[in-house]
Amino acid sequence: MKLKSTPGYKVIIQWLSAKEYKPFTYQEEAWQHIIDGRSGLVNAPTGTGKTFSVFLGSLIQFINLHPGNYKTKSKNGLQLIWVTPLRALAKDIGRAMEEVIADLGMQWKVGIRNGDTSMAERQKQKRQMPEVLIITPESLHLLLGQKHHPEVFQTLKLFTVDEWHELIGSKRGVQVELALSRIIGCINAKNTPTAIWGISATIGNLSQAMEVLLFPLRLTGKNEENGVIVRAKLSKKIEIESILPDEIEKYPWAGHLGIKLADKVLPILNQSKTTLIFINTRGMSEMWYQTLLHIAPDLAGTIALHHGSIESELRTWVEEALHEGKLKAVVCTASLDLGVDFRPVETVIQVGSPKGVARFLQRAGRSGHSPDAVSKIYFLPTHSLELIEAAALKSAVEEQFIESREPLLLCYDVLVQYLCTLAVSDGFIPDIIWEEVKSTHCFSEITEEEWQEMLYFITVGGNALQQYDEYKKVEVIDGLYKITGRRIAMRHRLHIGTIVSDAMLKVKFLAGGYVGIIEESFISRLEPGDSFTLAGRQLELVMIKDMTVIVKKSNVKKSIVPSWMGGRLPLSASLGKVLREQFDIAGTSLEAPNHKMKVAIEITVLKPLLQLQATLSQVPKAAELLIEQIETRDGFHLFVYPFEGRLVHEAMAAVLAYRISKITPITFSIAMNDYGFELLSDQPIPVDDSNAYELFSLDNLMEDIQRSVNATEMAKRKFRDIAVIGGLIFQGYPGEHKKTRHLQASAGLLFNVFNEYDPNNVLIRQAFQEVFDQQMEEVRLREMLQRIQHSRIIITYPQRLTPFCFPIKVDSMRENLTSEKLADRVKRMQNQLNSL
Amino acid sequence: MQAPLLHTLRGQHLWLSAQRSIFWEEQKALIVSDLHFGKTGHFRKSGIPVPQGIYKEDLQRLVNLLLYFKPGKLLVVGDFFHSHANMELDWFKKWRDDFSHLQIILIRGNHDILKSSWYREARIDVIENELELSPFIFTHERCGDHADLYTFCGHIHPGIYLQGLGKQALRLPCFYFGANHCILPAFSKFTGTALIAPEPKESVFAIVDNSLVQMQ
Repeated sequence: MKLKSTPGYKVIIQWLSAKEYKPFTYQEEAWQHIIDGRSGLVNAPTGTGKTFSVFLGSLIQFINLHPGNYKTKSKNGLQLIWVTPLRALAKDIGRAMEEVIADLGMQWKVGIRNGDTSMAERQKQKRQMPEVLIITPESLHLLLGQKHHPEVFQTLKLFTVDEWHELIGSKRGVQVELALSRIIGCINAKNTPTAIWGISATIGNLSQAMEVLLFPLRLTGKNEENGVIVRAKLSKKIEIESILPDEIEKYPWAGHLGIKLADKVLPILNQSKTTLIFINTRGMSEMWYQTLLHIAPDLAGTIALHHGSIESELRTWVEEALHEGKLKAVVCTASLDLGVDFRPVETVIQVGSPKGVARFLQRAGRSGHSPDAVSKIYFLPTHSLELIEAAALKSAVEEQFIESREPLLLCYDVLVQYLCTLAVSDGFIPDIIWEEVKSTHCFSEITEEEWQEMLYFITVGGNALQQYDEYKKVEVIDGLYKITGRRIAMRHRLHIGTIVSDAMLKVKFLAGGYVGIIEESFISRLEPGDSFTLAGRQLELVMIKDMTVIVKKSNVKKSIVPSWMGGRLPLSASLGKVLREQFDIAGTSLEAPNHKMKVAIEITVLKPLLQLQATLSQVPKAAELLIEQIETRDGFHLFVYPFEGRLVHEAMAAVLAYRISKITPITFSIAMNDYGFELLSDQPIPVDDSNAYELFSLDNLMEDIQRSVNATEMAKRKFRDIAVIGGLIFQGYPGEHKKTRHLQASAGLLFNVFNEYDPNNVLIRQAFQEVFDQQMEEVRLREMLQRIQHSRIIITYPQRLTPFCFPIKVDSMRENLTSEKLADRVKRMQNQLNSL
Repeated sequence: MQAPLLHTLRGQHLWLSAQRSIFWEEQKALIVSDLHFGKTGHFRKSGIPVPQGIYKEDLQRLVNLLLYFKPGKLLVVGDFFHSHANMELDWFKKWRDDFSHLQIILIRGNHDILKSSWYREARIDVIENELELSPFIFTHERCGDHADLYTFCGHIHPGIYLQGLGKQALRLPCFYFGANHCILPAFSKFTGTALIAPEPKESVFAIVDNSLVQMQ
């Protein structure tokens, strides 16, 4: 069918031209594929009509099917599912869709379903599904946990996943895959098949992203059909500028805050209508907000703070004020990465490393929205060496060198949760669900044996003392796997989801009034009377009662700023590579002052610092690996600089520490940042020219990783999320708090217990697998070692700390690795303390 | 098993073992705290598949201690049982019959919420607040010191934090002996630890795998 000759297209075009709009070529392309019944992926940046590229296609399809009565036809059942990662997006998208429907005089209803949807609204939807359902992955699973859920999907024509690039690399993406497999699987064969469409910003692996999403289509027997990628081809110009310290010599060598450059931000704010200031963590955003108000009091009332722990009403207010252009600047975190466009935003400031090219581009794209406008982004370094990252980002953006988002594989925790979700609905028959689960990309490689293990886990509960066991979760009744316990079912429903956060407490004023939420681990360290900052306010802790923190206003000048977890993203491989290139340029230009290379302004500014590094030690070039051995009061330090990002460094440090510890019994503490890592010991570290290459060898890599105790420690950390998703930990909920108190156990304790008494447990195995796949990034580790084998290893012995090692040394996140017996270690630590 | 460590206190001989118990020689009493029996069963009943092996091992460890010290009585300083009755406790009862001559005294802890008939059937003498056996007094949660009695308590699952050079750190369960009270380590391995900060003159014995190490 030719799009332009269809009645639906004519209706839509008429509506568009009445509004003086013209469809983009890519939108028409998508519409054509949609009416042809094909599936695919739209690649378009925000603010270019990507919503309409699929939504209008769905309308055209409907009008084509009902040209005579499309205006009057109502109660059509669910036509379009629109999955969105963000609750906040749902409202705006819904509003835009409703506007079109009203203008066209159609009877379609748009329903929103997420954690905020009221019970009454849910009930209404249950009786009569709206034509369009905008939903989060979690709520989609809740829908699958309802009785008779297959009936809802029989009329579905289009399943759309918005912002798929945000979901694909996460367990929420796996949730989408599983939900899709159920929906495609339960639609009656004689109904029109459902098409799947994804909408994604540019990532390095677009076609893989599409393949993953469309995977479950094989259930319909259409595996040969390939999806189509529709590209918007609307490139936006981006201008990147670094904010440079006046005297690089005086700018701090380490740090994450960058507040010293706050003065330089003010003229930028003055020049532009509205500026977004992106800060990497919530804690630091609080400090930036305070500082800006302090140095420019006249900004009061025109700047705001926006992050995930701020009360949602206040956040909504900030977003509306942004739309209306009432704000001069907003200090924000990743909380404003996604979402609808704020037209008044002309400038973006990125404070500290964005850790990846894609994120940097996404943030840059939040500015300059009118067609042909330039996105303007400033980079503000939080320590001097970070300036090199700005140079690297520039070159990566120029080369369009953007990261991939790798889809996750075999997430058993999500599968356990999903099976329990189906078990609370009508129950499930394993043979049917097995076929569906296998049709997802995530579980395409699951073996029959593993599947049986999953069923065993949810019904029998692993290792048990047969006659003394009362394990109860999923029961098998006439071949149907079902949860019958009312309390267990309710608890499961409340825990559907894969976003695991630290236990959060509400913060309220003594006199009433909600401020926001805060991590329990932070607040439990404070005493009543202590002051802290939240949502830009100085607060004094009065007491903690019933999961609520009661506070009053405080006038104290200095208060504690909570440090939220999660701000420490590792550097991406793409950025790591361009970063090494920039260091190569820096090193070469220092050695050959008469060179003719193109040197970025940032590197020129950094020259005094690089010069000092070269004098004390060396600036490594592309085919070199620098190792520094330094002795200080703390002990013996070994610094290594592969520039591969925090995660790979953590793994490499563990392997290196293990290999050294085979030479001699020794205990290390390990620290790392994105540029390199440190081994610190109380005895000299035996690394020199004679054994350096051997220590970085690829031989026995996996075995050595597995033997380094850090794998266990790292798995323990991974286990926290897995335990919550897999249903081992209850986070507690209102009213039930007291009743579940006897069911509380920390993830660390559960890990120890499972690891010792049931080490083959699927969830424990998954924790270790996640460490190897994601944490260790084994592939990247291998590539790095290969590179090192072909590099020149340079070992220097600086007399004092160098500009390179300083940021690592002051980093406090540390791990231990030892080859000594625990008892020996304890004795020695005691002796050391006694001799101090 | 490492030989028990002798710790004399107010003229009494106390034998500390790395299996998380104290044998009081003069009274022929084995003192333990926070066994949380039935905890794995409680979790499993609610759909959380914690392996029961850890309970089995806790129970076996207690049996080994009873066989080794041959005490006349077992003093439990609270939190003997984790929650409501479940089948795991039936196993305990069966075991109880094998030690029919043993007197068991429980100083009730906050977790000990079973019906009094249950304790009667298991022949456990339940003491409500504190038990005085001069020169000592036993209570689950300590509240204030006595003028001339030394207190033994449990409840908090004490742990000690150990730091060394090279920024190393360890966290170990421990026995704590202050000027006027002792805190016992939790007997159950299915428990976490709460860090204590001992004063210089107090004694702390850390449990390092299967041995005890006096820290101070």
